[in-house]
Amino acid sequence: MARYLARRLLALVPLIFGITAITFALLVLAPGDPVLFLVPPEQRGIADLAQFRHELGLDRPLPVQYISMMAGLFTGRLRSFSDRRPTTRQVAEALPTTLILTATSLALTGALAAPIAFVSAVRPYSMVDHAATLFALLGISLPTFWFALVLIFVFTEQLGLLPASGIRPVGASGYSPGLIWRFLIMPTVVQALGILPVLVRYGRSSLLEALSQDYVQVARSKGLAERAVLLRHVARNSLLPVVTIAALLLPFLLSGSVIVESIFALPGLGRLAVNAALSRDYPTVLTTTTVAGVLVVVSNLLADLGYFYLDPRIRYQ
Amino acid sequence: MASRPLEVGRRASPPRPAAGRRGPWQRFVRNPRAIAGAAIMASFLLVALAGPRLAPFPPAAPHVLAILHPPGRPFWLGTDNLGRDILSRVIVASRVSLAIGVLSMLVSIVAGVLVGALAGYFGGAADSVLMRVTDVVLAIPVFFLTVAFLALFGPGVGRLIWIIGLTAWPPTARLVRVEIMALRARDFVTAARATGAPNSRIIVRHLLPNVVPVIVISATLRVGLAILTEAGLSFLGLGVQPPQPSWGNIIADGREYLGVAWWVSFFPGLCVFLAVMAFNLVGDGLRDAFDPRLQI
Repeated sequence: MARYLARRLLALVPLIFGITAITFALLVLAPGDPVLFLVPPEQRGIADLAQFRHELGLDRPLPVQYISMMAGLFTGRLRSFSDRRPTTRQVAEALPTTLILTATSLALTGALAAPIAFVSAVRPYSMVDHAATLFALLGISLPTFWFALVLIFVFTEQLGLLPASGIRPVGASGYSPGLIWRFLIMPTVVQALGILPVLVRYGRSSLLEALSQDYVQVARSKGLAERAVLLRHVARNSLLPVVTIAALLLPFLLSGSVIVESIFALPGLGRLAVNAALSRDYPTVLTTTTVAGVLVVVSNLLADLGYFYLDPRIRYQ
Repeated sequence: MASRPLEVGRRASPPRPAAGRRGPWQRFVRNPRAIAGAAIMASFLLVALAGPRLAPFPPAAPHVLAILHPPGRPFWLGTDNLGRDILSRVIVASRVSLAIGVLSMLVSIVAGVLVGALAGYFGGAADSVLMRVTDVVLAIPVFFLTVAFLALFGPGVGRLIWIIGLTAWPPTARLVRVEIMALRARDFVTAARATGAPNSRIIVRHLLPNVVPVIVISATLRVGLAILTEAGLSFLGLGVQPPQPSWGNIIADGREYLGVAWWVSFFPGLCVFLAVMAFNLVGDGLRDAFDPRLQI
């Protein structure tokens, strides 16, 4: 197990290198000079610009820039171009909001997907199953940002029930756990709707596969109540693939957070990334992309480890 | 059985059920959902082709006496904050939105088929390298990279097509790889090799024609996803740029006027929804007709 874990952690290195190298290449190849974005036109003396470029380290060879950027990223010395704060601090402020939203979305999705998948697998081609299929189709075709605007129109503009923006960052003044839930309802519903069809579909096919296994026949023929067959034999065995899917959904949720956080003005990682990209804040762009990549990779690892605890038959070499 | 690589990614093992007397085409035509999807898809494509000729007004014409006019005569879907007719804008926008959807699908299908066919046919080192690359692309939070790319390089229709296409190929590559792996051990491939056919000819003439259904299904579903991505990017201001209307940027135009003029954002969003749903219905219908057990 320790060896397996070590190997998996080691495999993260090329992946993280790949993600950061691609991002760095984008930054280098991008047309336009970031310095011109940072210095107001009236201060653009040639000497000033050269001085500023030197301070930012943009006059050094590219490999040196890359290595110093990466070293700075991991030690927290890399500073944002725009507000000169360490990018790690910006991420530390933004990440909790995104993680809370991700957690609430996954929880809501799981709570809805489990019963829907269960009913449509146990009673295939029933009304519930057909309704679930139709709903899944609507769900994957719905543009989430448009759905978010529809929600804002109904619940904020018309009914005045829920706030569309105004949440405080975690830990900032005015932040209180008791106050944030009202801000999170609509973003959570939007994010959950995006991934619900995927989870229901996989849950259903996984349950159907478990239902066709021999041990289910055995359990039934020895006279076990159907309820016990379903809960103890079918549900437990079909949980496994669904756990991986939940981890694979994280990239979807992170991608969704870019748009959802922009619409609902949530101070999270997605909005930080968009704002950094729009203002050509190279260090922050590099940091947010890297952090998002690491989150995805680590969640995949956690899903595999979750397998290990859920299924004693699996032994990693 | 367990050592055969061909079952990867498929449902449990029995051979494909006999198709019965009906071929896939008859099964597709008898599926009402698929036909409904095809009808909606065809109408969108026709509207996109006819484009400006179908629009009642020029899409950029400001009707200053009818600013934020609610839906009704003569502006059937209302007007925006500049008095521009939403119906005309939505019609004109369908061309660019569908074009980006279809062209970026082509990019991702070509890339996916290439990677999948090479990995599946040659196996071994080529397979592990290509699949590792595929895993990396799947692990990258693609939307972060797309947003960074468009913000840094500046938005543009050409760039949108490339970035959406080049980030969307891994699922196609995986599907094609599995299919090719299943086919390469078959007798007709051995026969082709025995006649001295080179690898390139075996792949192009003998293997890929057998994978066409999978490619077509995958391609149809890709168009829907690409339309969604384009709309999201245009909504953020990183996609199609005004004054050229696209569904996503019309939705963004209406965002500020949500409380007073819901129709500005509502109708272009409905178009995205219906168009994506049409492609999904057709894709699902094709899958059910050709190979219901395919996991796409």
